[in-house]
Amino acid sequence: MEAAPALELRGITKQFPGVLANDHVDFDIVPGEVHALLGENGAGKSTLMNIVYGLYKADEGEILLKGKPVTFTSSKDAIRSGIGMVHQHFMLIPVMTVAENIVLAEEPVHEGVLLDYDAAARRVQELADSFNFHIDPNARIEDIGVGQQQRVEILKALYRKADILILDEPTAVLTPQEAAELAGILRTLKQEGMAIVFISHKLNEVLDIADRVTVLRRGKRIDTLPTAGATRESLARLMVGREVLLRVEKTPSKPAEPLLKVDDVSVLDDRGLPAVQNVSFEVRAGEIVGIAGVDGNGQTELIDAVTGLRKLDSGRVAVGDEDVSGGGARQVIDAGLGHIPEDRHRRGLVLDFTLAENLALHDYREPPDSRFGWLFPRRLIARARKLLEQFDVRGGTPLTRASALSGGNQQKVVVAREIERDPRVLLAAQPTRGLDVGAIEFVHRRLIEERDQGRAILLVSLELDEILSLSDRILVMYEGRIVGEYGPDVTDEQLGIAMTGGAEHQAA
Amino acid sequence: MSESPASATPPPVTPPSNGGPPSVAARMAFYQRAGGIVTPIMTALLAFLVGGVVVAASGHNPLTTYREIFNGTGLNWFFQVGSHDIGLPFSDARVWFPWNVNDAQSEAAFNLQQTLLVATPLVFTGLAVAFAFRCGMFNIGGQGQYIVGAMVSVWVGSSWVGMNHGLHIVLAVVLAAFAGALWAGIAGFLKATVGAHEVITTIMLNWIAYWIGNYAFGQGGPLQNDFNESVPVSNDIAEGAKLPVFWGDALLQGLHVGFFVAIAALVVYWLTLNRTTLGYEVRAVGFNPEAARYGGISVRRSYFLAMAIAGGFAAIGGALDILGWQFRLGVIDIQSSQIGFIGIAVALLGRNTAVGVGLSALLFGALLNGTSTRNLDPEVFQPELAGNLTLMIQALVLLFVGADVLILIFWQRLRRLRPGRSAAREAPS
Amino acid sequence: MSIRAERVPGGWVRIVEPRSIAIGGMVLSLVGFFVVLPPLTLRTWVWPVTLGFFGVAAGIWAVSRGVRRVGWGAVVLGILGMTLGLLALESSVGKLDVVVVWSALLASMLRYATPLTFAAIGGMFSERSGVVNIALEGMMLSGAFFGILAAQKSDSWVFGLLAAMAAGATLALIHAFFSINLRADQIVIGTAINFLALGVTGYFFVDVYGDQGTPEGIPRIPDVNLPLDKIPTGLGEFLDDVFGSLNLMIWLSFVLLVVSYVVMFKTPIGLRIRAVGEHPRAADTVGISVYGVRYASVIVSGILAAAGGAYLSIGFLGSFNENMTAGRGFIALAALIFGAWRPFGAFSAALLFGFSSALAQRLPEYSGSAATLFQALPYVLTLIAVAGVIGRSIPPAAIGRPYIKQ
Repeated sequence: MEAAPALELRGITKQFPGVLANDHVDFDIVPGEVHALLGENGAGKSTLMNIVYGLYKADEGEILLKGKPVTFTSSKDAIRSGIGMVHQHFMLIPVMTVAENIVLAEEPVHEGVLLDYDAAARRVQELADSFNFHIDPNARIEDIGVGQQQRVEILKALYRKADILILDEPTAVLTPQEAAELAGILRTLKQEGMAIVFISHKLNEVLDIADRVTVLRRGKRIDTLPTAGATRESLARLMVGREVLLRVEKTPSKPAEPLLKVDDVSVLDDRGLPAVQNVSFEVRAGEIVGIAGVDGNGQTELIDAVTGLRKLDSGRVAVGDEDVSGGGARQVIDAGLGHIPEDRHRRGLVLDFTLAENLALHDYREPPDSRFGWLFPRRLIARARKLLEQFDVRGGTPLTRASALSGGNQQKVVVAREIERDPRVLLAAQPTRGLDVGAIEFVHRRLIEERDQGRAILLVSLELDEILSLSDRILVMYEGRIVGEYGPDVTDEQLGIAMTGGAEHQAA
Repeated sequence: MSESPASATPPPVTPPSNGGPPSVAARMAFYQRAGGIVTPIMTALLAFLVGGVVVAASGHNPLTTYREIFNGTGLNWFFQVGSHDIGLPFSDARVWFPWNVNDAQSEAAFNLQQTLLVATPLVFTGLAVAFAFRCGMFNIGGQGQYIVGAMVSVWVGSSWVGMNHGLHIVLAVVLAAFAGALWAGIAGFLKATVGAHEVITTIMLNWIAYWIGNYAFGQGGPLQNDFNESVPVSNDIAEGAKLPVFWGDALLQGLHVGFFVAIAALVVYWLTLNRTTLGYEVRAVGFNPEAARYGGISVRRSYFLAMAIAGGFAAIGGALDILGWQFRLGVIDIQSSQIGFIGIAVALLGRNTAVGVGLSALLFGALLNGTSTRNLDPEVFQPELAGNLTLMIQALVLLFVGADVLILIFWQRLRRLRPGRSAAREAPS
Repeated sequence: MSIRAERVPGGWVRIVEPRSIAIGGMVLSLVGFFVVLPPLTLRTWVWPVTLGFFGVAAGIWAVSRGVRRVGWGAVVLGILGMTLGLLALESSVGKLDVVVVWSALLASMLRYATPLTFAAIGGMFSERSGVVNIALEGMMLSGAFFGILAAQKSDSWVFGLLAAMAAGATLALIHAFFSINLRADQIVIGTAINFLALGVTGYFFVDVYGDQGTPEGIPRIPDVNLPLDKIPTGLGEFLDDVFGSLNLMIWLSFVLLVVSYVVMFKTPIGLRIRAVGEHPRAADTVGISVYGVRYASVIVSGILAAAGGAYLSIGFLGSFNENMTAGRGFIALAALIFGAWRPFGAFSAALLFGFSSALAQRLPEYSGSAATLFQALPYVLTLIAVAGVIGRSIPPAAIGRPYIKQ
């Protein structure tokens, strides 16, 4: 691999208000190589590549394409120079078709004015076939699966004749099987001479797919090394700067009586179609049950049903001995269920409320916070002060607005609020999304502590590592049903197979 | 998503990574933090400035125009500070007071009475908009709700002539409030159940109320007066239903006790929002309906109640106007009334806070009074033009209030931005 | 719970579905009302009451099965059908004939619908690109005023129309600047523009025309006279009554319909506009200028809405009054939503609202004071429509959210 670098970055620096996202970062990649960019959340990986793609402008440093310096003022320039990017959140328009999405802004025209839909579909089909992708150009994005959608994104780049492909956390939304297929696709592209940059925070993937890896930490480049010979531990150490506990230490659980009973529950989604079908399980006191599954297999609807935010089509949910089926969020909360929702900004906190007000979200209706509808702010503040100290929340006082806190501290506020009510059951949905390693460790440790206190914990997460690390029992959801129950010693592959229905996924 | 760094100042109104648009309540909250009282003053000044430019562009002198307007407002009465006394209510004692309240007939005093008279309903229509805003809804229906209140109060006031005075007044106001709450509640209900956008529904309800009023008090209409068939006006309200005047001459449209009700309303507004569980819910829903729902709050109930309370406010404004100085309602009144719409500017300029709405109502009351036919010398500036000038100034207020980014930029320049102290954006990884 | 039956079994099963029953109920109620009117003029209360009753029944049944929206819609329509049918019965046949002369009503419907059509299609461009345009009302009003002002001063309706469009474009520019560049709340800004238009047009109206109002004899947009009565039999006469002498703008509105459909759904420009409205960041990353597309769309909406307003003043009435648009801009917006942001859908809705206005205009012949009340009919109808009786339409995904360029 002694070719000249296809892309080279020298001393790239990018400052955002309050944060130095990239600090004199160097990077290079040669054609026919897969080069991974590794780092935890907030390390600056996406920022770096967004600069390459023309979405941001670097404050300092230069970009060299095939040895020549270039400046991009918009992503159009980058595209024209042969750089393609597949973002973490797909830049696809759900209501439009595959072909429309791919040809957007470079549409084939007919009579100079009218869009030639047939030519578009044809060209897309030709392109897909040449890389052995199976896609239907006339399918709508919202109707195809996530793995397919990602392929559409890749096709978008190929349609524009990219020779450098940047993928931002591509396997975040894929099952292990789909991830393996992606790896295959990348290998094919690599052989065609494409230079591939692969952003990830997943150590296994990086070791598996990449030829070289550059580790970023807090905006600085720490090291660039070939993946041959590197280990998960060595990479983790580079990523975080210290020894990292890759698995939380915990004693085996001693489960007691069941505190959450989900009995033959079926739930419909927003479109009236069955999302959860005849699901039954129990969570006992003193155990953590993890529900694994690819996003979109009914987990969200199940959580909504258990927490009282969605009607049950059939079945029963009981917290302790109380039947809370169809009772509404209030009833479920009063019955002793705490819920750490999956999106703390949208669902967990009212960002414009103070910490005291946020912490009172479940209690404001009862004495001593209020009486006959009259609120006593001083009580709220006193309680908040106690909780903030107990849970080591930093960044504010009870009168600080929640929006001023960092993500990790915000999550601590949510956790504090839920745990303070001494719930019998704790439902944690994606509890560590977007948090840095320190906050993740805190949340994981806390969940184990609560388990040891005798609570029943239901963990729903898309991160297999988290599920494997914390759960005493693992359930897999696929297409609205529980398709398997496993102990904590199950392997990734076994889970992956279950997560995709037990059958081999269709080949690309 | 990655975290934002811990910073002392709040992030800007750009939404965080969840992608939802910032609610109106959230943006208004941002205002209050960003500039306290300075920004509304700046906004008002800017609006008047641009208004002055329009005046100049049409060939009139903005300075004399504004001065003429100011003279008509009665605000110059506050400048006549001296050593006077005021009688305490319910006793004969008199205490020192810096302003001369005893001479109710001086021109300045009279003008001030009129200004406060106009400001009173503006407080109510302003609160009607503000309360709904706090719950995340844009209530443009203040005009219709005001009219509904006026209609009901004129009907109650002109019926049951022999009733006890206090009871009569209270009954009229309470029924009017109820009617207004119901009227606005329709929009709230539609939003709560089917998600109908309250901007369109309240505007439609405005027009429906308008036409119902035209019908009811028009020729041959069911509520037209019993005496003169050719005049499309209601009956006069009974003497006993009229509000007592406490400053000025009752026969010359003095200032009635409704003024105190307005002040009380501002207090009630603040207390409701900040000291009741209902207010907590309304604010939570206004800032983040999703999180409110997850916390167990019934978002639909909040939408409905917030609109109903807002409608109640506006309707009380209508009732107080009828019982305080109009005493009858005619088709012409319904057609020319703008109080409900001005309430929108009042609320936005006042940043939906109690104090803000109060001061803002005073400002617009002064503007309306100063530009009225009685006060403005047609030689200097035609009153009809002035009325439209007022409209334009309102529009400008809304424009500048809406463009909070302008304020943000200005504010940041003033405070000389330091990295880390500024409004931080969530930096992606 | 909405029922978007994409994967529901088809065929027979669909017909006994609660939703279909409810729709059937609505149809029955409408039939019950219409048979009382000319030309059928069935003089018995049996039809409106029974059919309306079945409509209500169907609606209630649908509601009980969970199809709430369409079900309640059927109930409302059933009650409406019964009442109106009975009211129509009360009048004598003569009055009824006068009131409901179909051809005149249809022609009138087209005239009332046209400003709505222009504004609604303008709104479509703006909203499809992701910018809420509450200011259609203000843009329409300014088009009405500046159109007639320019037409009067220059003695040419062409110039008037152009001036109107320029006025609309100017207001749209302000809306666009505040909403797109300054990322202001689009509804607040839209409301501001409405007040601004009201104030500016009123101000200059009084300043220029004073107490007298607009003078007589201002050049009007011409009517297009078609010799349709040459077509044999009654059909020719009917067609001539309806289409024979419609204003040029009405014909232009038909052209606009087709053109806007083609542009929005069959050209690359339309694809890009829709992309910007659904997922602006995706459009940005492929190199489309989100700001540029939105600016252009908002300005087009201003131009079209103003043209609709110009039709009102120099095409229809020949004069201007303060606030003459009387909420039409909002009705146009409702028509757009009702029509699912598609040109032909919005046009159908505009026709519906136009019909209600036409009906309201004819009713003074029926009862003097009730006519005043009927003026509220278009607004009531809009209220019902916005409440989403006939299913909820889905707006462009990114509508109302300011786009933040990195």
